[in-house]
Amino acid sequence: MSIEDPHRFLAFSTEVTAFATFDLWATGQVEAYLATVNSAIGGAILAELLSTYEKICLETEGQALSERKARLRRQIFGSEKLGPVARNIIKLWYVGTWYELPTAWSEAFGANPKDVPFVVSAAAYAEGLMWKAIGAHPAGAKAPGYGSWASPPTIPAFAGEPAIAQVKEVQVNRNEGLAR
Amino acid sequence: MSDTITTIDALKEHLYLAMQLEHATIPPYLTALYSIKPGTNVDAVQVLRVVAVEEMLHLTIAANLLNAIGGTPDLTRPGFVPSYPAHLPDGETDFKVSLAPFTKETLAIFKKIERPRLAPGSKKLVKRLYRGSVTVLGTYPGADDMQYYSIGDFYAAIEDGFDRLEKEAKVAGKTIFIGDRKRQVTSEYYYSGGGELFPVTDIGSAKKAIRLVMEQGEGAGGGIYDHERELAHYYRFDELDRERYYQPEDTAGHPTGPTFSVDWHAVYPVKTDLKLGDIDRKKSPELYEAALSFNQTYAEFLGQLTQAFNGQPQLLLQAVPRMFEFRNLMGDLIRNPLPDSGGHYAMATFEIGDNQVLRTVAIEEAGA
Repeated sequence: MSIEDPHRFLAFSTEVTAFATFDLWATGQVEAYLATVNSAIGGAILAELLSTYEKICLETEGQALSERKARLRRQIFGSEKLGPVARNIIKLWYVGTWYELPTAWSEAFGANPKDVPFVVSAAAYAEGLMWKAIGAHPAGAKAPGYGSWASPPTIPAFAGEPAIAQVKEVQVNRNEGLAR
Repeated sequence: MSDTITTIDALKEHLYLAMQLEHATIPPYLTALYSIKPGTNVDAVQVLRVVAVEEMLHLTIAANLLNAIGGTPDLTRPGFVPSYPAHLPDGETDFKVSLAPFTKETLAIFKKIERPRLAPGSKKLVKRLYRGSVTVLGTYPGADDMQYYSIGDFYAAIEDGFDRLEKEAKVAGKTIFIGDRKRQVTSEYYYSGGGELFPVTDIGSAKKAIRLVMEQGEGAGGGIYDHERELAHYYRFDELDRERYYQPEDTAGHPTGPTFSVDWHAVYPVKTDLKLGDIDRKKSPELYEAALSFNQTYAEFLGQLTQAFNGQPQLLLQAVPRMFEFRNLMGDLIRNPLPDSGGHYAMATFEIGDNQVLRTVAIEEAGA
């Protein structure tokens, strides 16, 4: 998977963050996060994670939502290999920070010199989804304006819908050999 | 036709157009500002932000002028927000102002908006023909084919109008300044101003208000700095163009201050003058909804400002968080790729429909 193709990464991220793809693009961090994950765990494992996700989506299409969720839990979050990576990607979106993978993971699947804790950028901190999720603003950035503290926070509704349409589009494009 | 303002109704209509004109510059400035990638181009961000805030001040000053003579500011009137691109006068010719990313070309248009210029002779109005569908700013009320030679001439006509009508009224033992003093918006209601907001109650304060608008924008009168020793907008844009700061004692076109650099690549290539209809609703439902709700929220905001300018200035304080919200919403749109557009990004379309319901509500609430 090339760094220039963020759509597969976005489809998975939409599913696991419960934010809409629109909100993920709105952070302005798509490329930076994709590059972060890619360099911290390597392209092969990332590709395996995304393929697993896509397979689950396609195979559970038309079935009850609980079926897809159950398979996500078993095959991704319950996987020794994919689980920690998936959790790290969620944290990355929410706080703009990459956390070092557990030692057990590195010992089993390979250590990487880039797998160290770091804040992706100042903008990544300000664009963390956690701020939107709690209806607050990042301290020291994106000030909400004079007197705004007098109003209660607005907590957004979560999309929480499967990204099946995106997954299918990615598949179609891949089959047609289109570079997106 | 006469290029002078001879009736109070004509003056009121000119001041409505002044509000429209001042507002019309804000969406283009904000679009360019938020198209700049976060963390880059700090100089350009600072200039664009300051200019946008001062345009908001000018809008409020125009409302004060209108209120001073017993007018009713109405930002919800159909057509108040132009359909972009909109035409503006620039001497013998005109130019189009668009909602576009921050580029060298956009900056050239911004310089034209703020360019100091007055008609060479006494004739301030020129005849121009447009297709019926385009928005033309700075026209003569009631004669859409007649446009002021420049924005400077437009304001000069307003100043003359105030002078003439007040003198006539004085002769008859009256005054044109019959507006309710409580409708004036002053600094206590206006956050982070861009200048002091004083009440307009007589010919002296009216002229002072008009001068402030002209000087901050164009540096009218030939100076590059205004009374408060602040650089006029035109020269702030010129700084970005030349990548060099002006300092006191500099002359127009020759800044001698520190240099800086503009990174023209650190900008989201938003689609110029994007319309809601250009977004595929089926393919990008989230994007479509976000753009639509921005327009709806903005229309409500204009309703809120209308109430504030109609006797409830305290509402302006509530409007502040809303403006910061617009910053976030615009940023969200601008960072979203626009599918099937050849690599362009989305943006807020500022399509504010003829929302009669909203308008009526705003006016009624203001009157209540």
